[in-house]
Formats: sequence, structure tokens, C-alpha cells
Amino acid sequence: MAIVNRTPDSFFQPGVTWDERAAMERVHAAVAQRADIIDVGGVPAHPGGVVDVAEEIRRVVPFIAAVRGAYPDMVISVDTWRHEVAIEACAAGADLINDSWGGWDSRLAEVAAGSGAGLVCAHTGGQAPRTRPFRVAYQDVTADVLDQVISLAERAVAVGVDPSRVLIDPAHDFGKNTWHSLEVTRRLADLAATGWPVLVSVSRKDFIGETLGLGVDDRQAGTLATAAICAWLGSRVFRVHDVAQTRQVLDMVSAIRGDLAPSHALRGMV
Amino acid sequence: MVIAAAVCPWPPALAAELTGPDAAIEQLRDACAQAVERLVRNRPELVAVIGPAQVTRTWPADSRLDMSVFAPALGRTGGRAGDPALPPSLGIGALLLDQAGYPGPGCRVLQAVAEDEPPAACAELGAEIAGSSRRVGLLVMADGSARRSPRAPGHLDPRAAAFDAETERALRQADFGTLLDMSPGMASELMATGRPAWQVLAGALRQATATADVLYSDAPFGVGYLVAYLEPAGEPTAAHPPPPAQPAPAPGRGASR
Repeated sequence: MAIVNRTPDSFFQPGVTWDERAAMERVHAAVAQRADIIDVGGVPAHPGGVVDVAEEIRRVVPFIAAVRGAYPDMVISVDTWRHEVAIEACAAGADLINDSWGGWDSRLAEVAAGSGAGLVCAHTGGQAPRTRPFRVAYQDVTADVLDQVISLAERAVAVGVDPSRVLIDPAHDFGKNTWHSLEVTRRLADLAATGWPVLVSVSRKDFIGETLGLGVDDRQAGTLATAAICAWLGSRVFRVHDVAQTRQVLDMVSAIRGDLAPSHALRGMV
Repeated sequence: MVIAAAVCPWPPALAAELTGPDAAIEQLRDACAQAVERLVRNRPELVAVIGPAQVTRTWPADSRLDMSVFAPALGRTGGRAGDPALPPSLGIGALLLDQAGYPGPGCRVLQAVAEDEPPAACAELGAEIAGSSRRVGLLVMADGSARRSPRAPGHLDPRAAAFDAETERALRQADFGTLLDMSPGMASELMATGRPAWQVLAGALRQATATADVLYSDAPFGVGYLVAYLEPAGEPTAAHPPPPAQPAPAPGRGASR
């Protein structure tokens, strides 16, 4: 899942795809690098200048329509927590609603059902959109994650979302500190064991930066290591900035697991 | 009778196991250690740790912070599986007392005060605690606004700095009336979670005049941290319920209100 942020102020490379042409170039590159999903978002996760519904729609919906026009068969997700944005985005061609804020707007599931779209069900521990965790504590963070994502997934199906289009996401760093994010990574197999396909969004995140003591531009290796672990433990979808390198990580893990044949195995056999 | 009070914030980062080396946190740790050291040097008969939590209640005096609620990889460090978790405000307070070598549990009280406890109830609780023993020490775990900067946990609220400055002034001048007048609504809007704990302090010391030192006042991470040490002046009186009206101050002595 390739990240295309239609924002001027996201945490990594702010504004790099704010210009529509730059954003479309990014889409072309991601497709060429074998991305499976294009994820379009208009509001940064951190607090900051207000982006209301109208502005968020302006940022993402026409662009989604443009991506759909250029790539009729590409899976497109809209990164939003708001049902008003999701309705428009699905009408413009989005297939999946990537709600990182854990069902804060409970009408999102109904919109997914009505549009035939899929839904990502994320864990936030109840944190409100665009807020930061404050001394957040869990008796058992993995249990809390499972509880929230499974409830959201079951509710989504109950209101009519196609169960084969529901994903669960532990949502690293959302309502969690670095230790919590590491723990849910370590316990990722428990999420995969639920049977719901798992999506992880770890790219360049602060839990990687705090683990290694590195700024946002230097978290490449940490990101890829985390992606590899998540893949090994059963995650199916990876929301990333760097498609090409993540693709290589996933292919390598798949080959090690025995799910993918080597591209070219001649050495020792000629 | 309260013989001394220390006021400290309770960021979980104060526990060295939870965070790596950080100069700002080190500085804060030193200030808290100083305040608590001064508190225990007075040899109180008991130390009541006051800290905000979900519910007003006491916790077993031998309770310890379970760090695994913040850092699962550290494993359980306090409490038992299945039991409710000790509020971190009290856990950090207990940790500070342990680090100061203050003996427990026989001489500690761990008093949680609900985040939404009204000021009058906080004051009454403070007065009760003050009257509970001849020589009570208070360790008040309280934080200022978590909205002090754009990167703060609560982002920036332009009113936050002035709010915290007023709290600092009130502590510095032992102005317990101002602390009691602190609006729960405003404190909540500004994520100043220490409001009920400062009001317990104010209720405990309301009848006294006190000297105060502010040992630390800053917001390096966008949360207002205040460290202070207070000592009531004059001889401890016999423990009894607080009088209904404030006595007039003696001529020449500053009033605490």
C-alpha cells in the first residue's frame, strides 16, 4: 500500500505530494514499483492546522478520480476517519476505506457497506483523531488491540461490509508509546491468528526512531526490519513510503517462508 | 498536622527503566529528588502520597508501580495479575519515596483523588489527611498543562503558559486560596491534570502560613512540570477537624489566603 499524502505538512517529506502533478508522478512510480494499493490521505495524523470536511474532500476526492482514470484496475484506498469524506471518495473510485482512527466515526462502516468498499479496522485505545498519546497505559496492550479491532471487524460485517474486504490494523503509535508498538509487533502472530488479514503501517514511525535514536530521514533500515518481522509473523498489507525496497523485503520473506519461488535459480544447477 | 510538603510531576519518564538518557528528564529527576529528600529529612510520622486517578480512594501502602503498563517488555514490576493497576501518579510517588530511602509501607498512605473531584471535596480530603497524624508529610503528584507547545501531548493552547505561571506563583507564595479557586473546567480544557492534587494540598495547608521554594518550573516536552517544597511556619497544633471560618491573620504576619 503506497502512501500518497495530499497534505503540506505530513511528518515525513512534508509537502512532497501536495502538488497534484507531483502526487500523480508518485502514483506512476509506485505502480511501476509494483505497489498493490494506492492510499490517498488528506489530513496528517498529528495535531495542527484544522482541515475540515470540505477541505479534506477537496484534497483527496478529485485526485482519487484522477488515479482511477489513469489506473482502472488499481486498488485505491482513502485514508480518512470521516464518513462524509469516505462517501465522496468511494463515489470517485476508492475501493477501501483506511480508517486509522479506529471507528471514531461509527458511520464509516455503513458507508463502506453502502459503497461495497472494504474497511480497515484499527486500534487506537479510544484516542481521538489528531491527538497524541498522553501517559497511555495498558494492562495488556495486545489484548486491548485484539478486542478493539475484532469488535470493529465484526460490527462492519454485521452492517453489511463484505467480510473478504475487512482488514485489521494494530495502528502502531496510535494511542501507544514506543514500548507498546514494539510489543504489538512482537505479538503480531496473535493478530494474524484471528483470521482477519492484517495491515501494518510502520513506515518511518516514531517507535522506530525512538528505538534507534534516529530522526525521520534515517529510519529506512528500522522500517524495513520491522516490515520483515511483520511479514514473517503473518501481516498481509504494508502501508509504506518506499515501495521498491519494501517490495524486495516482502518477496525475500515470502521466498524464505516457501511461498515464492526464487526469480532465477541456476547457480549450482547448470 | 502537615510538617512539610513536596510537589512533583509524575511523567512516567521519571522512572529510569522507562526511558533512555535524556538531559531534560535528568534535570527534572534531580529536582524531584531534592524536594523529596527535604520532605523526608523532617522525619514525618507518615507520608501521604496524593495523586490524580480515576477514583478517589486509598491504595495498599506497599503498592508499587507496575511498569509493564507502559513498557510490556519490562514485565510486571508491581501488583498481581488480575488486580486493578495502581494509578501511575501514586506509583511514581512511591518510587520517589523508595529512591529517597523513606521506609514503608507502615508509614505511607497512597491517596488517589479523582480527576473530576470538586475543589471543596479535595480541600476536605486535604484537611482530613492533615489531621490524621501529628507529623504528616505530603508528597503531591501534580502536573500543569499538557498543552504548552505545538509538540505537546495536547498540542498548543495559548492560555496554557499563563495558567501554569499562575499555579507557580500560587505555590511560590503559598497562596492556597488561589489553588482552591482553580477552575476544574479550565484545568481540564488545558489538560492540567494536577488540579485536584494541588487542591488537596491547599486544603491540608489552608490554616497555615507557609514558606515555599520552587525547585523546578519548565515544560521541556510541552507539559508543565512544577517541583516545589513547602513548610508550614509555627508549632504543630493538636489534630482536630478544620474550623468552619478562617481565623484572622495576626498583625504583621502574611495571610496564606
